Amino acid sequence: MLRFIVQVIGIVVLVGAVTITTLKIDYMDADGPSILFPGGELVTGELHSGPDPDWTFTDDIPVIELQLDGPMSSRRIFIMESGGKIYVPSGYMQSFLGRLWKDWAFQAAEGDDMAVARINGIRYERQLIRISEGEVINGIAQKLAKKYSAGTPEAVAGTIKSINNGDTWIFELAPRPSILDPRLSTLDPQEGASDEN
Amino acid sequence: MKTKNYLILCAVITVIWSATLILVPAVSDTVEQIMIGFLSTYAR
Repeated sequence: MLRFIVQVIGIVVLVGAVTITTLKIDYMDADGPSILFPGGELVTGELHSGPDPDWTFTDDIPVIELQLDGPMSSRRIFIMESGGKIYVPSGYMQSFLGRLWKDWAFQAAEGDDMAVARINGIRYERQLIRISEGEVINGIAQKLAKKYSAGTPEAVAGTIKSINNGDTWIFELAPRPSILDPRLSTLDPQEGASDEN
Repeated sequence: MKTKNYLILCAVITVIWSATLILVPAVSDTVEQIMIGFLSTYAR
């Protein structure tokens, strides 16, 4: 009987491992992510140039695709517009499963912050900047709670608390420095490196 | 079940299940919805 139970547990574990491995490999090089598993580089869609649009149109978009350049991978993520800027959240940041699930947020916070957002089929080159304090948090939390949960004062307060205690991280999808100042993209990389050393 | 038969069963399950996930998008979508529901519940 014990042998049978162990064999059944083995099959359950096998099915779980096969599922995760298969889906992870299947989407690894895809043009965009699946619901849960990261995809590869976002290659299709017009690359936006010029001034930022009026981001309020993202109020009608539940999720966008966000690609990080290092390492190259993409995922689906919520988006909030607040004060004319756009933000993405990363939740569950203090749990073990969350750390495995949201490893991209740790990479972005550690400096691998160059990103591409594909919204309505258009790709926007952006830089991820973590926002952890300031008045802007209130507006972002209100939008996050209104858009993705009940939007009640309790939900807003819970969202603000979650951001303040570090369980939810917020990143601004800011324009890349080279987009703000085209001269930066023409700098000699060695020249820039020597300034840092 | 003898070990040999058990290993054959595991191999068959692996091949059929991985092929199903790749070839039938509705199955993989459903599995992912279940997994994201699990994570949303327990990753707190």
